Amino acid sequence: MRLGAWMLVASLLIPALPLSPSSAAAQGIPQNIPRKELLILENPEGTIKNAGWFNIWAINAGSQSNGLQQAALDTLWYIDPEKGLDGAWDNSLAAEKPVYNAEFTEMRVKLRRGLFWSDGVEFSSADVKATVDIQVKNPNMRFSAVLANNVASVEAPDAETVIFKLKKPNSRFHTNFTVRWGAIWILPKHVFDKVEDPAKFDFNKPVSLGAYTLHSFDPDGKWYIWQLRDDWQRSSLGRHGKPGPRYLAYIDPGPPDKRVIAQLNHELDVIHDIAPEGMFALAKQDKGTRAWFKGFPYGHPDPTLPAVIFNTQNEQLKNRDVRWALALMIDIKAVTMAAYRGAATISAIAVPPTGIHPEAYHKPMEAWLKDFEIDTGKSKVKPYDPTVGKQIADMLRPSMGDQIPSDPAVIGNSFGLGWWKTNVTAAGELLTRAGFRKQGNQWLTPDGKPFVVRLMVEGDLRPVMTRAGTMIVQQWKQAGIDARIDVAQGTLLTRRAAGDFDAFIGWSVETWGGHQDLSYFMDSWHSQFVAEPGKSQPLRNWQRWTHPELDKIIEDIRKIDFDDPKGVELGRDYVKLMTREMPIIPLMAYNVFTAMDQTYWKGYPTADDPYANPVTNWGNSRYMFVRLKPAN
Amino acid sequence: MSAYFAYFAKRLVQFVVVVFIGVNLAFAITHASPIDPVEQSIAAVTSFGSTAPEAIAAMRSSLQELYGLKGTLAEQYVTFWSRVLRGDFGPSLSAFPTPVSTLIGRALPWTAGLLIVSTLITWVLGNLLGGLAGYYQRNRTLKLMGVVAMGVHPIPYYIVALMLLIIFGFLWPVLPITGGSAMNLQQGWNWAFVSSVARHSILPALSLILIGLGSWFLGMRSLVSNIVTEDYVVYAETAGLDSRRVLGSYVMRNALAPQVTGLAMSLGGIFNGAVITEKVFGYPGVGTLLVDAVYAADYGLVLGVTTVSIIAVSVGVLVIDLLYPLIDPRVELR
Repeated sequence: MRLGAWMLVASLLIPALPLSPSSAAAQGIPQNIPRKELLILENPEGTIKNAGWFNIWAINAGSQSNGLQQAALDTLWYIDPEKGLDGAWDNSLAAEKPVYNAEFTEMRVKLRRGLFWSDGVEFSSADVKATVDIQVKNPNMRFSAVLANNVASVEAPDAETVIFKLKKPNSRFHTNFTVRWGAIWILPKHVFDKVEDPAKFDFNKPVSLGAYTLHSFDPDGKWYIWQLRDDWQRSSLGRHGKPGPRYLAYIDPGPPDKRVIAQLNHELDVIHDIAPEGMFALAKQDKGTRAWFKGFPYGHPDPTLPAVIFNTQNEQLKNRDVRWALALMIDIKAVTMAAYRGAATISAIAVPPTGIHPEAYHKPMEAWLKDFEIDTGKSKVKPYDPTVGKQIADMLRPSMGDQIPSDPAVIGNSFGLGWWKTNVTAAGELLTRAGFRKQGNQWLTPDGKPFVVRLMVEGDLRPVMTRAGTMIVQQWKQAGIDARIDVAQGTLLTRRAAGDFDAFIGWSVETWGGHQDLSYFMDSWHSQFVAEPGKSQPLRNWQRWTHPELDKIIEDIRKIDFDDPKGVELGRDYVKLMTREMPIIPLMAYNVFTAMDQTYWKGYPTADDPYANPVTNWGNSRYMFVRLKPAN
Repeated sequence: MSAYFAYFAKRLVQFVVVVFIGVNLAFAITHASPIDPVEQSIAAVTSFGSTAPEAIAAMRSSLQELYGLKGTLAEQYVTFWSRVLRGDFGPSLSAFPTPVSTLIGRALPWTAGLLIVSTLITWVLGNLLGGLAGYYQRNRTLKLMGVVAMGVHPIPYYIVALMLLIIFGFLWPVLPITGGSAMNLQQGWNWAFVSSVARHSILPALSLILIGLGSWFLGMRSLVSNIVTEDYVVYAETAGLDSRRVLGSYVMRNALAPQVTGLAMSLGGIFNGAVITEKVFGYPGVGTLLVDAVYAADYGLVLGVTTVSIIAVSVGVLVIDLLYPLIDPRVELR
């Protein structure tokens, strides 16, 4: 009987287990594709419900980061958040930069010739015109509104010329067709002409304008495989050389622990992002793993700027003295330790410390920041401490050893430059001037109530920012504020849009990275777009902040060309205004811990060779393909 | 027989009432969600590029129209019931315009395959071993199994799942750790795909079996331990009947009734999907679909999954209720 019971268990369970380890067969390597020809990347969108949808011009239609925008689609221009293969700006389907008339009411585009769709049809101006016309005609498509609001008409006088007549002056209209992450992709006219309802057309199998075409995909949305076109030279990427990988697999490897396991098993070449701890584990256990920085802080700093974003329509937070007081209560070193275990690139100013911005804004403004003074009413303080980045590096050196750079220039690039000195005394003076008073260790508002600040965080959906928020709340509490963490989870987007928060950790500043122009986020900060309290707020001015000086800067930027050097001057004016007013407290770049396994491929972009953004969901990551070579 | 028909009618009415209340509750809860699907969609679309605020305002209005969110709640409620009665849950909002029924139809076979097999294995093994342990109380091996079951049972499911992942996915990488099948295989009744599905289901199934086994084992052992002290069992043993016959015909058969009820409810519950299992193992089933739908405020999809689940569990209980009087004479038709 004893034996019988065990035999029963064994007979049911043991045959299911294979007898010998065979990693390649056991795990997620595609069948019949040589590993040396295959690059496996993470699709950060996870498992795709609408797996068979490739019509990116329809709303919610499938995945975009499954290789569709990186490998198969194309548009007029790209701006890389880093240096780019041949400069950050790349004329892709366009042969040259856009040409506007003096009033910015007309944009003329010269297209490249000799580019073909994967079904053999030549790309031409008719495709660009159709991209606009079809979406304007069908109001429920993804870019319908932006095109309908801007375009009076679009003309294609010959195969290589497109003329956009705009409804109103817009010196940044071309940015809609410029990939920063995504953009308005050009659709194939010859395919969509045969479609009755383009918003309900799945575009399966997609006709490609990129260097790759769809090979196969999982109907359950776990993986997509793309194959290099035989005529890859007839794509815009072709002029940069032949892409190294013959096949690309965009997969959902699962949560962070499984991403780490998959890379340790060499079954996931590029991880889009993992928690700092996962990155540290990979760096320690797999010598073949490479991140953006060779050592600490590893992660790729995105051109976004996590910040404490105040709801400036909140009565208590309308006063800049109060906002500054809250900034001066923060110890950024503790915040970076809590959020990223120190692996962060800090920024005192409202521009992310990435791409071209350290050269355009951070370094040139150091002198101004050092002289910047706050009058608290009782004293005058110079809050900027230019050594905070170095202090973070020094703080980490005893535990991280040689991984921490010692060259001041490298420290500046990796950890950032300066930030605000913690100064609770000055903060108290500012609060007092704003009418607040302290009772015991508790700050009271001018009407005698406890000063409550709810700091909204996303929760476990964005753990790094949640940890930063928790640390800031703790510091505010220690300084006498009744600060509370407000975990929003899935409601964050709805609450953020409605202004249902006192403050939250997130970003309202997002830039091109590789270009100094700030209109990417700043144009929508104009007071004309700020909603009434409780009403939905358009992107991205979540702080609902208005200022006549800001409006003037935005209006001046609208009047100048995208590349006009005056744009940097206006950008610096914006930085000064933001510093004085502090509607958001800038913290650091959003570091993306992209881990790249060099077992099968070499030549990834890194901080030492920053030719492209390596983060897998960016359209710009396509430039990586032409530099990758087999490792053996 | 007329008593049975009265019982049948009563249970049927109860079934309809339970389903009606359950589905209404699901409608109320989903529509009370603080998440706005329109804002979710706008965030997804605009995160890919700079979009002018006027364009976003236009898009917001357009999406409300497209998603059918412009009508009053009462209008949405009527539309919902008219669709449910036709077996149509409308389009998914987060995967627009794919019908909810298509998404459920694609996910359900994965969940059903995994959960039916693992539930049945767990149920059979747990009850068999639990019954033996309750009857042969001095058997050392079975005693040891009881100790193991007591020890494993309270361990949180995800700990067991993660341990299996680390052991068989990393330390001894012999089994797939994610997905329902290997890449680049044609789905269908071909050997490569079927064997791949089987391999991918081993770890999730094993995790479910290891955890589920304990509760069936302990439950059955407890039931049998009580039954063996009943007069009719003592009498049968005293009369010298073969112990295997006593165990099979008198003990196990009587102990199984509540376990069968539990099995029916478990099988009905598979339409919820094994949420944690599917998330941990990246399994393409209904559980993953439901969680993603909740985060995306996809009312239609959440309602579709919960409605199917409510009906399935209710049907499971109804079938058991209707069969009980026929198989167990102790059940009174009152």
